[in-house]
Amino acid sequence: MSFASPWFLLGILGIAVPIYLHLYYRKTPVRKDFPSLRLIKLSVEFVARRKKVRNLLLMALRIAAIILVVMSLARPFLGQSASARNSSDTPAAFVVLLDNSMSMGCAHQGISVFNTARARALEILDQMQPGDRATVGLVNDPGRLIFPQLTWDQETLKKSVSNIPLSMAGTSIASSLLPALKLLSPLKAYRRAVYVITDMTESSWQPFIEKYDLAKVEPGIDLIMVPVGDTAPDNMAVTGIEVEAPVIMSGRQVPLKLTLANYSQRSRKARVTISINGERKLEEEIEVEANAVKDAKMMATFSATGMNQVTASIQSDAMPFDDQRHLAVRVFEPCRVLLIKPDSLPGQPENREDIFVRFALNPLNRSKDNNFAVDSRSTAEAKGADLRNYAVVCLINQRHLEPDLIKRLSEYLLAGGNLITFMGNRVEPEWYNKHLIDDLGGAYLLPARVYKRVGNAVSRSVGYQMTDIDTGHPAFSIFARDGTGDPGRAQIFEFFQVRPNPSALLLARMSHGLPGIVEEKRGRGRSLLVTFSADNSWTNWPVRPTWLPFLHQTLIAMITANELAIGSIRPGMPVSATITSEDARDMQLKQPDGTLLKLAVQTGVQGLVHFTSRDTDQTGYYQILSDGGKRTLSAFAVNPPPEESKLDRINLRRIPRFIPIAHEPGRGRSVKEKVSLLRDGYDLSGAALLTLLLLAVIESWFANLPTARRVE
Amino acid sequence: MEKTRKLSRFLDPKLLASLSSMEIRARTVVEGMVEGLHKSPFKGFNVEFSEYRQYVPGDPLKDIDWKVYGRTDKFYIKEHEEETNLSGYLVMDTSGSMSYKGQGSLSKIDYASTLAASLAYLMLKQQDSVGLVTFANGLRRMIRPRTGMAHLKAVCNELEATRASEVTNIGASLDLVGQSMKKRGIFILFSDLMDNAEVIIQKLRQLRTRRHEIVLFHVLDRDEISFPFDDTTIFHDLEDESEIVTDAFQLRSEYLRRVRHLMNTFKSALRKSGIDYLIADTSMPLEANLRSFFSRRQAVGLR
Repeated sequence: MSFASPWFLLGILGIAVPIYLHLYYRKTPVRKDFPSLRLIKLSVEFVARRKKVRNLLLMALRIAAIILVVMSLARPFLGQSASARNSSDTPAAFVVLLDNSMSMGCAHQGISVFNTARARALEILDQMQPGDRATVGLVNDPGRLIFPQLTWDQETLKKSVSNIPLSMAGTSIASSLLPALKLLSPLKAYRRAVYVITDMTESSWQPFIEKYDLAKVEPGIDLIMVPVGDTAPDNMAVTGIEVEAPVIMSGRQVPLKLTLANYSQRSRKARVTISINGERKLEEEIEVEANAVKDAKMMATFSATGMNQVTASIQSDAMPFDDQRHLAVRVFEPCRVLLIKPDSLPGQPENREDIFVRFALNPLNRSKDNNFAVDSRSTAEAKGADLRNYAVVCLINQRHLEPDLIKRLSEYLLAGGNLITFMGNRVEPEWYNKHLIDDLGGAYLLPARVYKRVGNAVSRSVGYQMTDIDTGHPAFSIFARDGTGDPGRAQIFEFFQVRPNPSALLLARMSHGLPGIVEEKRGRGRSLLVTFSADNSWTNWPVRPTWLPFLHQTLIAMITANELAIGSIRPGMPVSATITSEDARDMQLKQPDGTLLKLAVQTGVQGLVHFTSRDTDQTGYYQILSDGGKRTLSAFAVNPPPEESKLDRINLRRIPRFIPIAHEPGRGRSVKEKVSLLRDGYDLSGAALLTLLLLAVIESWFANLPTARRVE
Repeated sequence: MEKTRKLSRFLDPKLLASLSSMEIRARTVVEGMVEGLHKSPFKGFNVEFSEYRQYVPGDPLKDIDWKVYGRTDKFYIKEHEEETNLSGYLVMDTSGSMSYKGQGSLSKIDYASTLAASLAYLMLKQQDSVGLVTFANGLRRMIRPRTGMAHLKAVCNELEATRASEVTNIGASLDLVGQSMKKRGIFILFSDLMDNAEVIIQKLRQLRTRRHEIVLFHVLDRDEISFPFDDTTIFHDLEDESEIVTDAFQLRSEYLRRVRHLMNTFKSALRKSGIDYLIADTSMPLEANLRSFFSRRQAVGLR
């Protein structure tokens, strides 16, 4: 050890002064007689007690002084965040999550809430210090981190924030917050924080806090909420539009169901306009109670077949993006059905085995304005029929068919026609198997081979029921809901035992396990085999209430099966479908603004191709075009999520772990300052030093406080 | 000559000359056998006139004042009070604590003895009888009250012969004194009251209920009142010989508070019971203490 100024060590001699003073003032007690120590003893006890309290107070003061000295040297920072507990020299790693969901699109006091949010994000990014790392994420649905890794490049981050567009999608906090937490979790050497800049709509936050336990988030990561848009503006929205009909036929009236939501404190009227393919068709004023959702029904008629665009709109308000809703519907020509019934025997009355099918498809026997136009012909009459005019052909209890008709049926089926075959007492299994399956090779008609008859329809001693009904199939899906009837309650007294082809679907079994209804896709068409009769000779199903919906659903399923139906989706959701390679020539996606995007297809098996598109950010009517835009293969609508229309704010106290940074323009500290204070905390070393000084004064005063008066 | 010198030690002629004009009058009428200056509650012949009152049937005719009848034509009875002498009991605390001698020239017991002798002299001079009782842990010596100046010698001799020692037990001693006092009289106690205050007050009240006139001289040294000590001191108890080491400077204010509290307690409690309480500060001249005693007695007598 060496000293720069060793002469100063002579100052050590100064310790002699206190030693001398100590020795000089040291006294030995003097002995003194006193009349009685009674009062002295009592006084000594009291003084000892008082001195004990005084000494304790002095000790507390001195302990506090030592704590303050240590604290001052340690430079304490006070803050509610975990970052503030670290040294201010520690670099920060943070993620700025910007809510760009549709609800951010409303205006607050004339200023776009989203623009305010963007400005807040830029202010937070301005606080980046050298050595800090950050990234930016989006809180829409599906949310994502724009930069999957943290970066030091402040300018790039700010530029990306400036370019973030408002999305028409909903809010998915988890999809960006969880990756952000995962990203920050290993960076324990940093002061970590996630800033969420959001309008805090209750509809998006409530499900999130119910699903995720935010209290389990790592304590070292600060979750900071930057709310924008103080109060929820009144909002009226079209939150739903759908056609309440399983199939839409041209020229037929169909009910349109509209859902209107009024998120305000007063009842409001909305003038609803329905446009079909851009042409205003219907207009109606609908009143909706305060804070209520109302369904309204309007009848619409479609004249054009193929894909149609339906738009429901109301007058614009503070949130303009939910005042319009789109629907893509496919309109069919009225469905023509050919029933081929057995020829009547000479001298016998006309065969009526088709009657239950015919009346089921046209219950009111109307010649027009019916969804199904039914032609009922005998086998002989059907020879000259042009099958291409029919959507569905039903073979009812046929014994034999002409080879020509068989050939035409086969061609019809493979070209996209639909065949339904009902069994009966005329059916000869060997002939069916030979002429309708074996002789046709790959162009066979039946989905199953036919064997012997089971049961006895004459005695009706045993009644079978249908079980294992495939309610996932469109023909039976209507019965999946309670209260819509149960086909399994129908009695079948006799039926044919069949063996389905390998690629056939079994839609229903008989109660002892044998197949009851079998369907197989044949070429572009479908063939359905019902193993019992179409009338009530073998079953009582035709007289039961489930018969009619079954036939209707089956026919609708058949005629719509080949059409590409996508329906309505939310913004940003991917659209994908599998289609035949014939349809997939030069495919394009036409967006609502008219932009044409080429659709890339992936080749699959059996002549099928698959395409996927994620370009669905805009709301509106999208068309999938093929053949270079000449043919509309399908269409779909993209609509904002209905829950985004409800702009009510969630109470901040209901969101655990989040520290709010509230800011009113022109008042108090700026967001920058608040972010800085939250991150660094309040430096308490100055306050600690001041307190130390004060304590030192108090201590010296208290320590020297006379405990008794001197003798005058 | 030697005896005269011893006597004069306690009877300062200058002091006594200054007090000779004063009359010691008991506040209440006491019973006595000897005619003196003090009022007697008993009426009789050849005694001092007391008052007139109207004649009522049954009164002896010999008591009617015929001179008054001659002037007013009304019968009045002339009543008289009997003059009696006063029995004074000088009760002296001779416990060890009374031997304390501080900055002054007299110890507490010397000071109290001088005071007692002075009072004895004055009372004997006006034909009252005086007795002496000394006590510490119990009664030590008792001299029955007698009249005549010759008795002064016996009292002074006893006072001179007494040495302060032993611990104090005032309560028990006062009980014994009370039992031995047959006649009502004036009871003058000299003590530093180094005992349980409540017991002392209770015993004095008991004596007072037996119609004794009680005067208490609380004899205290200046050191006891002002506690003029600053350093760490080993205090030695003069009664039980115990010792305590303490910082006198830190103790002082609390000690003084307790002393004041004790004196105030005695003062208020005893005066409520009609007992005269006087502080005899040994640093004060004897004359001042006697003057304050007689001033107070006179004020009580005039009341």
